[in-house]
Amino acid sequence: MQVEVTFLTRRGADAIMRKSQTVTAEVVRFGRGSDNEVQLPDIRVGLHAAVMAEREGGLVIQQAGDLTLRINGASAASGTVHPGDRIHLGPYELVIAEASAGFDVALTVELVQPLGDALERLQAESRIGLIQAGLSKRRWSWGLFIVFALLGLVLPLAVRPFGHVVTSSASVPAVDAIDFVSLSWNPGEVSNPHRFFAQNCNTCHTGVLASVPDRACLSCHAEVGNHLQAGLELGRSRADLAATRCATCHEEHRGVDAMVIRADALCTDCHATLAETAPKAGVRDVPRYPVGHPQFRATVVADAAKPSFARMVLGGDPKPVDRSNLVFSHAAHLVEKGFLTPSGFKVMTCADCHIPDPGGQGFQPITFEGQCHSCHDLKFDADLPWREVPHGDVAAVKNAVQDFYAHMALQGGVLDPDAPAIVRRPVGTPLPPAREGERRDALAWAAQRADAAMGIIFDEKRGCTYCHVTNRANGAFTVAPVFLRTRFLPQARFDHSKHAALDCAQCHDARHSENSADVLLPGIETCVACHGSERASIKTQSTCTSCHLFHRRELGPMKTASAGK
Amino acid sequence: MRANSPVEADAGARPAHEEDRHTPFLMYRRFFYFKTAVAAVIVSCILYWGYRPMGEPYGGTWVGYLLGTVGALLILWLMWFGYRKRAYLTNQGKLEAWLSAHVYFGLGLLIIATLHTGFHFGWNIHTAAYVLMCLVIVSGAFGIYCYVHYPRLMTQNRASTSMPQMLARIAVLNDELRASAMGIDDAAARLVTRSIEHTEIGGSAWQQITARYPNCTTAAALAGIDAIAARSTPEQQVAYRRLRVLLDEKAQILGRARRDISYKAMMDAWLYVHVPLSFALLAALLAHVVSVFVYW
Repeated sequence: MQVEVTFLTRRGADAIMRKSQTVTAEVVRFGRGSDNEVQLPDIRVGLHAAVMAEREGGLVIQQAGDLTLRINGASAASGTVHPGDRIHLGPYELVIAEASAGFDVALTVELVQPLGDALERLQAESRIGLIQAGLSKRRWSWGLFIVFALLGLVLPLAVRPFGHVVTSSASVPAVDAIDFVSLSWNPGEVSNPHRFFAQNCNTCHTGVLASVPDRACLSCHAEVGNHLQAGLELGRSRADLAATRCATCHEEHRGVDAMVIRADALCTDCHATLAETAPKAGVRDVPRYPVGHPQFRATVVADAAKPSFARMVLGGDPKPVDRSNLVFSHAAHLVEKGFLTPSGFKVMTCADCHIPDPGGQGFQPITFEGQCHSCHDLKFDADLPWREVPHGDVAAVKNAVQDFYAHMALQGGVLDPDAPAIVRRPVGTPLPPAREGERRDALAWAAQRADAAMGIIFDEKRGCTYCHVTNRANGAFTVAPVFLRTRFLPQARFDHSKHAALDCAQCHDARHSENSADVLLPGIETCVACHGSERASIKTQSTCTSCHLFHRRELGPMKTASAGK
Repeated sequence: MRANSPVEADAGARPAHEEDRHTPFLMYRRFFYFKTAVAAVIVSCILYWGYRPMGEPYGGTWVGYLLGTVGALLILWLMWFGYRKRAYLTNQGKLEAWLSAHVYFGLGLLIIATLHTGFHFGWNIHTAAYVLMCLVIVSGAFGIYCYVHYPRLMTQNRASTSMPQMLARIAVLNDELRASAMGIDDAAARLVTRSIEHTEIGGSAWQQITARYPNCTTAAALAGIDAIAARSTPEQQVAYRRLRVLLDEKAQILGRARRDISYKAMMDAWLYVHVPLSFALLAALLAHVVSVFVYW
């Protein structure tokens, strides 16, 4: 078989280069190997790719290797071909042409899928650089910016007008999505007492670019007490304090426990020089605690009758004296070895008379009935030990005594042998028709006995005068009113229950006090022994607010809703 | 452009143009920006621990506001570096100076901003801004490490070539492989074809960074060729030996190119964290500042 093989090479769009080759063989083999009749020098073609031969039906081409043969577009392992047929073998296209004279078969061979420029191909295939891998800083930057701006800025601003404001009369709503959005702007933990409503910012923050106004606080806290007494001339201090917002001292968003500022500086800003700036306040300068804190001034009774009080410096000159009008000696009662009492031998202690009040802060007031009567009876007749006079009313005492003896006289049964017969008659014996003399005897006896009893009761030393300051002017017996103070330091809060571990005598030297006028309060030096400054490391940290209150209810409300900003 | 200073007579004593000599950005101007940043941090610490507010330290005390303002301005200035970096025609200070300042003030910002928080943290946009800032700074610190560590590795790895040169050499090798593969077995030819047609250089971000190419066609070809050559004819074995030499060289250059890509990718990758997060920080910072003013 004579085969004319023409290799076509296209150059550009128009030019085709032809190179012809004559092959003489019965079987024409196509492939990469050099032993093939028609060598197709491309690595993509197998060593032996196809075989072409003349058969009875015509020219047959057959696949010889793994490479798929395609005849006129259709895959086929073999097929009969005629002029005009296109056969694809890998990247090559074989076209059967009309055989010219002297040849049995003519075909063209063209590399229709060149490999192209190796470098170009390599570069096209490579993905060098992270940007080629699809990562984009710009996309991510925009994306994250938008996400955070939306969630952090736009959304909270959008929900600001919504939400439920809580006041003392407006209820607390359930937590909803608006609250969660608003909470993203929360700069710090809300204090514990406010947490139950504070999920909505508008409850306190009523305006934009404006601090929390006082009326937001006053909507629930209208009764908060004042710090300054009304009517006193206090100079700038009153104006300064009125101009101070609640939020200046009470800072929210500082933590669960941090609502009230306890730093000394908050108080000493004014109190360090208060004696100069507001002399009428009667408050001494307190530059700091403990160094510089003045000695306590006890509020004692100056005149129990009015009553009037005075503040006197402990340990000062004049010595503080509490004129309670009660005659009482602690020393006489706090006898170490004890003494005999109506209920037996007793060693008295502080707790026998000083009973803590239910809150534990102070003690219940001292009363005769509560504290004294169990030992100090008010009997007036040795023969009749079951009778006592009432306590506290001179006129009632007189009436009681007189009534008693009159009753005795009427009742009879008096054992005194010197008494008139009428009163000595046995009890139950009916009264005989009274004769004038007998009546007078009975009356005289009763009066005499009453006088005798009252003589003891109203004696200079015995009776009432044993414990009370009495006066016998113009024949009238009066007992001076007694005023026992329960709190000698009313400007401070001292909680006894917090100091219950201490012994009373560590602070109060009652054992050696023989006079009730003694003021048995400890001075500041006793407190300072344990209570150090606000940042003390080896003493109890104490600030002004450890002992003093700023808001005092007894002074009326500090701000009113209309006056507050 | 700077005017050149006259060349020294004894040019061996020290470099003629001191300012032209390369200084690592960390050491720029004898650690000038390091010293400045440390001074700023010390001043901030003194302010923070020296001032005793009546309550606790907090972003809203005057020291807090001061540190916060300084921090916010610092953040904006630090982000401006991204613009300055690309302003090639400008004269606003040398880029080295900007980079040195950026690095040291960025690190200092970590401390200044932490003091501004007063160590109050919570689940809110304010702490979110702080956390984003910390992530940005930490990623930046990693960037410092990359910029100090990788360039030398890259230079050593390249061994006086460049990526285009490596690619060109690989292309040439591909052509030579194609030419040398005429007489070999079909199976071997397929392996070589695959190596020529699918040379993986780069790829996904993970592939680029880790330089792991488990489906490397060249490696497969190398492995396959040996097996095939073992049972081939002596004439073919000559061809296979030639192929092997070519494939070996190609593998070596591929390894170098891929390693180069890996180092470059590491030097770029941290920026894909640093820059987007800094924009997230910008948004969060804006929210933080606006919220403080809205709820004064």
